[in-house]
Amino acid sequence: MKHDAHTRLVLAGLTVVFVTLGVCFWAQLWARPEPVRPNPLVDPAFLETATWRKSYTDLIRAKADLSDFDCYGCHEKKNPPKLRYDDQHQLVVPEEHSDIVMGHGKHGRNNNCYNCHDEQNLLQLAARDGRALKLEDSVPLCGSCHGPTYRDWEAGVHGRTSGYWDRSKGPSTRQLCVNCHNPHSPKFPGRKPAPAPIPLRPAATAPAVQPKP
Amino acid sequence: MPPLPPHDAPPESGMDRRSFLRTSAVLAGGLFAMASSLKPLMEMEDIPSAERFLQKYYKELTPEEMQKVLARIEREVEQQYGIRPHVRDLKPMDGVEFVYALNLTRCIGCRKCVHACVAENNQSRSPEIQYIRVLRMPHGSLDIEKADHHYAPESVPEKGYFYMPVQCQQCRNPPCVKVCPVHATWQETDGITVIDYDWCIGCRYCEAACPYWARHFNFTKPSVPRERLNPNMAYLGNRPRRQGVMEKCHFCVQRTRAGRYPACLEVCPAGARKFGNILDPNSEVSHILRTKRVFIQLKEELGTSPRFFYYFDV
Repeated sequence: MKHDAHTRLVLAGLTVVFVTLGVCFWAQLWARPEPVRPNPLVDPAFLETATWRKSYTDLIRAKADLSDFDCYGCHEKKNPPKLRYDDQHQLVVPEEHSDIVMGHGKHGRNNNCYNCHDEQNLLQLAARDGRALKLEDSVPLCGSCHGPTYRDWEAGVHGRTSGYWDRSKGPSTRQLCVNCHNPHSPKFPGRKPAPAPIPLRPAATAPAVQPKP
Repeated sequence: MPPLPPHDAPPESGMDRRSFLRTSAVLAGGLFAMASSLKPLMEMEDIPSAERFLQKYYKELTPEEMQKVLARIEREVEQQYGIRPHVRDLKPMDGVEFVYALNLTRCIGCRKCVHACVAENNQSRSPEIQYIRVLRMPHGSLDIEKADHHYAPESVPEKGYFYMPVQCQQCRNPPCVKVCPVHATWQETDGITVIDYDWCIGCRYCEAACPYWARHFNFTKPSVPRERLNPNMAYLGNRPRRQGVMEKCHFCVQRTRAGRYPACLEVCPAGARKFGNILDPNSEVSHILRTKRVFIQLKEELGTSPRFFYYFDV
């Protein structure tokens, strides 16, 4: 008798629980799916594969205006321009060449224009071993000081090689030193990084780690 | 006088009104609860076609069947994006084993590789799935606990840090392949571990097994803007994925098995990324592994033996 009433109570309770659960599920009272936030698309400039500089070789190939490289439009032949230095022994870049920022080598020590340019013929370059090199042929000039880097570059290891890894299927292109390095200031310039991964929830970023002092 | 029936015996008719009502209420409640819990099924959008549902395992497909499958994928992509893609099934080449080498001295942390990869491989933009994660770590140690991949300074590289891009390491001994219960992921002869997106059941065991956080799960339907879709596709590569399947870096099979360099390498402004055939002694990667200070395979103590090498200059 008592047992029967107990069963009935349990059954009624279960029914109520099931129906309540059903209503909650139906109305999605919890675990409502969060709408996906549309993320901004990345700037196509970050997908660009071209190098950030154009070399003289590229300009010749593109048949661009080369009047900037006509040294004897302003300079006189057989009268090499004099170099001027300030009291800190830093090169004074003349106004006409104000686009040149000198920064080759630590502490500005490589600050003699004729270390690389030919004093007697400004249209060509002078390597350390006395070879005269054309302006578009600057790689051996760089290599005359930067031996290990030149060796790596020749092996395809320094600098990017793009195109086909399988040379039987297509061509591959090497970049020249000056496609990535400004010869007057060869240190790789800093740049803005592409956007960081966007976390699902804004607070989910990891705390930044400070570098060791 | 006949004995009275026991008190709790059912009446002659089998069921009285009260117990009938009670049973019906319980039954109706139970059915309603079950229907409600199954309600999410009604919101299912991607109902597989019979053709896809009955499709055989990748390794069992004959060339003719493969052609039909590729035609189906092209049709489905065109339906969804309005662009006719070119889907191929590229096989590994003989005498080729791919290896990646990354120069930690050169990497400037610009993240261009991350986004070139997303564009090439049709990864979801919202929410984001990215195969490459660029870790920024303080100089002086290689402690992944101290790594941060959410850095966003005005200019990189920053003083006091170095950058280490991590993606699928294409292990020689891949833990992800071991745990897959349905063999939807396997290692091919050229060293690339691939996924058959039509065979994956989305259990995410491989994600848990991978020590490099290289595998990513499509929790929602991936969203790729139509104008950014890359129509050059491969079955095991960058064809659009569905909700509920895994994906990861596959060394751009649609490019590398056609002889080209992967997209992350092509976009690197520092020339830090090198890729090639390790079985060719004249390849760039062979030269690097022979002559450079190749210092790690990431987490090499785990015995996964990655095909992805980090090296330094000099």
